[in-house]
Amino acid sequence: MSDFAGWAREATEPSAAAGKPEALEGIRVLEFCPGHFGGMVAASILAEFGAEAIKVEPPGGDPLRLVAPEEIQVAGTGLPFLSEARNRRFATLDADDSAGRDVFRRLALSADVIITTEPPERMEAMECDYPSLREERPGIVYLSLSTYGAFGPDASRSVRDSDVLCQALSGAPYIVGEPEREGFPPRPHEAPTRLGNWHGSFVQGLWGAYGVLAALHFRAETGKGQAVDLSGAESLMMFADYNITWMHTGGKARERVGNFDPAVFPYTYIRCRDGYTFIAAYNDEAFDSLMHIIGRPELSRDPRFSTPKNRVALENERALLEILEQWSGDRTADEILVAVEEYTSKRGGPGAAVVTGRVNRPLETLSEEHWRERGCFLRARDPVYGELLLAAPPWKMSGTPARWKSGCRLPGADNRDVYLGILGMTEEEYRRLAEAGTF
Amino acid sequence: MPSDPGSFRAYAMRAFDPAAIPGKPEALGGVRVLEVASRIFGPATTDYLGLFGAEVIKVEMPPRGDLMRYVAPEGFFWKEVSPAFLPLNRNKLHVGLDLHPAEGKELFLRLAERSDVVLENLRAGTMDAWGVGYLQLRKRNKRIVYAANSGFGQWGPYSAGRASYDATAQAVSGFSAVTGFPDQPPMKAGFWVGDYTAALMSATAILAALAARRKTGEGQMIDLSQAEAMIRTLDWTWPYAGLTGKDRPRSGNVDPSYPPSGIYRCRDGFVAVSARDEGELIPLAHAVGATDPEEAGIATPERVAAFCATRRVDEVVRIAEDAGFSAAPVRGGKDHYHDPHLRARGTVCSVDDPLYGRVDEYGPAPKLSESPGRVKWSAKPMGWHNERVFGDLLGMTALEMEALARKKVIGKWADIPGARPPKGSAP
Repeated sequence: MSDFAGWAREATEPSAAAGKPEALEGIRVLEFCPGHFGGMVAASILAEFGAEAIKVEPPGGDPLRLVAPEEIQVAGTGLPFLSEARNRRFATLDADDSAGRDVFRRLALSADVIITTEPPERMEAMECDYPSLREERPGIVYLSLSTYGAFGPDASRSVRDSDVLCQALSGAPYIVGEPEREGFPPRPHEAPTRLGNWHGSFVQGLWGAYGVLAALHFRAETGKGQAVDLSGAESLMMFADYNITWMHTGGKARERVGNFDPAVFPYTYIRCRDGYTFIAAYNDEAFDSLMHIIGRPELSRDPRFSTPKNRVALENERALLEILEQWSGDRTADEILVAVEEYTSKRGGPGAAVVTGRVNRPLETLSEEHWRERGCFLRARDPVYGELLLAAPPWKMSGTPARWKSGCRLPGADNRDVYLGILGMTEEEYRRLAEAGTF
Repeated sequence: MPSDPGSFRAYAMRAFDPAAIPGKPEALGGVRVLEVASRIFGPATTDYLGLFGAEVIKVEMPPRGDLMRYVAPEGFFWKEVSPAFLPLNRNKLHVGLDLHPAEGKELFLRLAERSDVVLENLRAGTMDAWGVGYLQLRKRNKRIVYAANSGFGQWGPYSAGRASYDATAQAVSGFSAVTGFPDQPPMKAGFWVGDYTAALMSATAILAALAARRKTGEGQMIDLSQAEAMIRTLDWTWPYAGLTGKDRPRSGNVDPSYPPSGIYRCRDGFVAVSARDEGELIPLAHAVGATDPEEAGIATPERVAAFCATRRVDEVVRIAEDAGFSAAPVRGGKDHYHDPHLRARGTVCSVDDPLYGRVDEYGPAPKLSESPGRVKWSAKPMGWHNERVFGDLLGMTALEMEALARKKVIGKWADIPGARPPKGSAP
């Protein structure tokens, strides 16, 4: 290991994070996002950086707890909720009840950041919309998440936000998946294809956290709070490459091309003996390196492949894929990696830009020592929810590392802590509200 | 449309009005960022900072610069710039500076002394080997926040020497294994999602580190692997593997968490149908022909597919709105370009660039009422801002710059498409 790598490991080792200060210590986040995964992600990310997050669930628990692929539940909660339920307090509150609304408003006025996915009309009825809250708390940062956003011609469309709606509108599935074959009826998989995880919701939460941090930066400079309006569709849309610039400059729209790519090639998955692996070598020098690696150096001068422009003609991409798979078909992904690294380690600069990596199934990812050493996964242990395998915060930081601190708890498990400790209720008030069913 | 002027929707139209953005302050005004990066992962990170007001100085290696300049869809360049390079490099100052010679390193260190953030995406340890890594920079500026973006991280068995692109992260993380159809091979997302997702995570950590610096007075190093970023996004994949010992299957276009929610083929395109709970499942079941409206189970993917197949996308969306479930069209870039909603929100926006004229782009997704993000200008040729940065910021004279240019320490564009200015526009 180089001196720098050794220093970096010591300075950012996740297992040493617990003793270090946190970046967002002292920032209180109130999450009011019933049934919504993106809202959870936004709060989780701020909480991984040290914000104090409080999730308000309806009495009995958040509807998202009931979402359970393959009907797998742990203590009544499905895996999507469990995967994102981290670093927060779990409070319950009946926000439709007038006493509950009052409690919610008090909580909101104690917070630095509000995250909500509820329609503005509901927040207005609770007097917890942004214009109402800022009168009493001008520094508040108020993030609202939705499918279409809070303004614009489609803002009042009647939808309940979800991952698949945001994905569909974002332009992502439009350029993911196999094209139809001319002259044949389309097969089911020859369609715009959704990203298999809830990437739309995740990215919505991530942009939400980013917007909040930008607003908090501005507040630290000026004292001013603000509203942050975020559409989940637009969140993933920002990742849709050069859609707009190509339309504007070339009048062209991107279409789906399976595992090919209209701008760079080779940049694709190739079949190998033990599955699939990624291979890329798209600038001229790297392409020449790859042709040497596969023992076909003459192809660098083949007119079909000799320039980046010729390599991205779809018929040439298909021809090249066939050539690459003739070579890769009887090699394993690891053998391909070794062949690439041996060659490129002797060649610097653009010629070294041959890139590969096995298309891992999740269990294959989990079996790799590299991620274990870097603390990429963790096992949460809880008396109620048992042992759960979770993804750790991905950032390694030397000063104020992001960290996982706690996992899921039962709905209302932190009610006393939140209402007595944070809001300062008396025991009597707490008991009265609890008995009235407000929590 | 809102009629009550006191309503939130009316407030939102005023508070977020794109026409008012130029007169408002920027959230990250006063933050200076140095970028030593190429292609997407690094440049997108600083693009996100620049959209909200950070001053980003993009350091490129003369004369070719960022190799992304030469990534062009179907080989198409417009006014000598690739449309794929533009959206990653808005609001930046472009300088050509070679970090190999000693004078180049010293210039970089002088820039770093005047900066808040350094962002790089070279192979792990390269900047340190060049003498301009975090350990060297913090001696000159202890407030520097240094973000190192890479494929596999700055340490660990895979960190040394392994390069990575978006699809490396898609592949090794397990993301592609859960995307696509069960009877088909794993699907690579056709856009560079492994770069953008990780870039946004990097930009987020940079803002967290700036918040920490406000309290401590000190910067820090951030080490982010793009594969680890993608791993973090895979929701229930990991607890499922932990509990069952199995791989989460690919489930095609039906969301296995909310069946039959998914993407369906219509007569004239594709539509997403979504039902999160009974309140939506029952109307959906009714719409697709259930005889007993209480029987939500009848809304199987097959019934929904048959229902959509004979209808137009806009019919399905209208029926959903009337019935009480959710639906939205599957849209592409052409739809976005012409969408009045996205235009009204500034999510698709036009910038009047002094060099290129009108350029249309995706604008920032989060809309901030007081300090909104914005696209101020488009990407520029290699070294376009040398005089502004080396002259105005570092106080170098024209003679000094000429001497450094002769020694090829600083430089400008190669005379090739992707690097050079539009014809007839060079100063």
